[in-house]
Amino acid sequence: MSICDLKLGDIAYIHSISGDNKLKKRLMSLGCTEGAEICLKNCAPFGDPLVVTMRGCDFCIRKKDAKNISIK
Amino acid sequence: MKTAALIGNPNVGKTSLFNSLTGSDQYVGNWAGVTVEKKEGFMDDDFKIVDLPGIYAMDAFSEEEKVAKEFLLSKEADLIINIVDASNLERNLYLTMQLMEYKIPMLLVLNMIDSADSKGIKIDYKLLSEKLGMTVVPISASKGIGLAELKVLLAGGDFLSRVNDNDFHMQNELEIYSYINSILSVCVKRNDAKSFSLTDKIDKVVLNKYLAYPVFLGMLWLIFQFTFSWAGQPMAAYLSYLVDDILVPSLRILLSGSSPWFSSLIIDGVIGGVGSVIVFLPVILTLFLGISILEDSGYMARAALIMDKAMRKMGLSGKAFIPLIVGFGCSVPGIMTARTLESEKDRKLTALLVPLMSCNARLPVYALFAAAFFPGNESIAVFSLYIMGILLAFILGMLFKNTLFRKSEEPFLIELPEYKCPELKNLLRHTWDKGKGFLKKAGTLIFAVSVFVWLLSNFSFNGMTDINSSFLAGIGNFISPVFIPLGFASWQNTVSLICGLMAKEVVLGTMGVIYGGNLSSAILSNFTGASAYAFMVFVLLYTPCVSVIATMKKEFGSRMAVFSVTYQLALAWIVSFLVYRIGLFIIK
Repeated sequence: MSICDLKLGDIAYIHSISGDNKLKKRLMSLGCTEGAEICLKNCAPFGDPLVVTMRGCDFCIRKKDAKNISIK
Repeated sequence: MKTAALIGNPNVGKTSLFNSLTGSDQYVGNWAGVTVEKKEGFMDDDFKIVDLPGIYAMDAFSEEEKVAKEFLLSKEADLIINIVDASNLERNLYLTMQLMEYKIPMLLVLNMIDSADSKGIKIDYKLLSEKLGMTVVPISASKGIGLAELKVLLAGGDFLSRVNDNDFHMQNELEIYSYINSILSVCVKRNDAKSFSLTDKIDKVVLNKYLAYPVFLGMLWLIFQFTFSWAGQPMAAYLSYLVDDILVPSLRILLSGSSPWFSSLIIDGVIGGVGSVIVFLPVILTLFLGISILEDSGYMARAALIMDKAMRKMGLSGKAFIPLIVGFGCSVPGIMTARTLESEKDRKLTALLVPLMSCNARLPVYALFAAAFFPGNESIAVFSLYIMGILLAFILGMLFKNTLFRKSEEPFLIELPEYKCPELKNLLRHTWDKGKGFLKKAGTLIFAVSVFVWLLSNFSFNGMTDINSSFLAGIGNFISPVFIPLGFASWQNTVSLICGLMAKEVVLGTMGVIYGGNLSSAILSNFTGASAYAFMVFVLLYTPCVSVIATMKKEFGSRMAVFSVTYQLALAWIVSFLVYRIGLFIIK
């Protein structure tokens, strides 16, 4: 399950990040580490990109990239 | 002299602090050769502060991170001033942990303590300082709280600064964040009642499924109205009145005693060239004021979010939409706005496409030709040109994306900052920075080109002559065969297009001088319907004016400038050719 499968307002915990190394490193340095809380907060009018909250900050991320963040 | 590097996450008030520390009489210089700026300023003459770009981590992925890393590795800095957002220490301290590895003395500045306070976040500064092993200074740069203490501290050099004790080796992000959390759990008390913040409320409207685009268009409309109807353009019109009706006549009287060539050089050459560009200063200033407001308020990130889907089709991220929109006003600020984009690839691709957005200067040319050749259908004729520019930008965006800029798509990851009220002081500073650059260019490059074109149009090998036998006419005759397939080959049209390189409205001015008399009837006898439309298309697409070329060179270097010029010339020729040939079938 990835954060794309969440509904607006849902909260989940990061399991792992796959895919592009650069993206992975970036997400990790922003605090997207195993066990961290993540919330799907909002999305753009056509459903992509998504707005997620991690460690108190809102970020927007494309669905394509978000698919790589698996949650538990 | 001591040098301090000011470093922190984006959006934590770094520039605000930089400006307060260095004061108004700072020296701010763009460092040559890099695409991302670092600024330097002085506090008390003997303390240099270098403002590094805002970054989240020291991983050297982005241009910004590279600049910061290189500077710290150069050992130039005696001190790191790490500024962090007090209301989001968890993420901000990640960079702090990475900075510790550089073994440079460090001072932690907690900014925005007022907003942290209002969010119910209570921080034990003393304990935090103990745990981190470095002096912690709580401030609020925008409210002026704690700045005096910070200055005294910096000047005295009397602070606790842990220079990496050897036990600091964190393997991965998870470990670092766990360490940060272990510190914060004892130093920070937060009032956990999750309130629905103002930012969330605004986002509910601004990102709403149905309202998002109307709100976005409304904001753009306001900025454009402000620039082109309410403030910028009227001021520009007044400036242009001052130049044309006050300055020029009085100069004519003043110069009546001097030789005619000299007065022509000053009035037709210098004033004609530099003056016609300078009058756009108010337009540039007001447009940038509006854009700075959008930027500082935090709305820009939302605009990028809602435009991302469309922009991805041409290989760009949502953020690139703003420079393109600005390009409808003028390509110069459009290309300058491209600076705000994340990756070098995005900046370059955007800058190449910006000139295809039909700028204001081209409108007078369309207006004249459309009225003369397509009476009754003027607005359709003009509108079709704007649409053509947008369509070509899309097509070329897709083409460049798959050829020139064939690197992997940058991950699109932007922070949506909290909304805040822009500070007037910062707005004015941003705006003036842009204006200053523009004035500098007008005083140097445009001045030189103006004089050069004046020389060419007034001289031949036999000395001073009239325009019909000048160097300029010679050049026009030499080049004009190129335009035979496009239907508008004559030395007059060629020279007009060449002079249009100064600024596209000069195309009309030059035609006015060369053809003389009533311009509408002159072009009616020199063009056909098909060649007139082809000419308009050529004006839309051909090489941007010198200001744009100069900006392109300043921002991206000569190779990009040359490429931009060549591809647009080729594009203009090909599209005009097609338009003319198709036009011949339709308009007999």
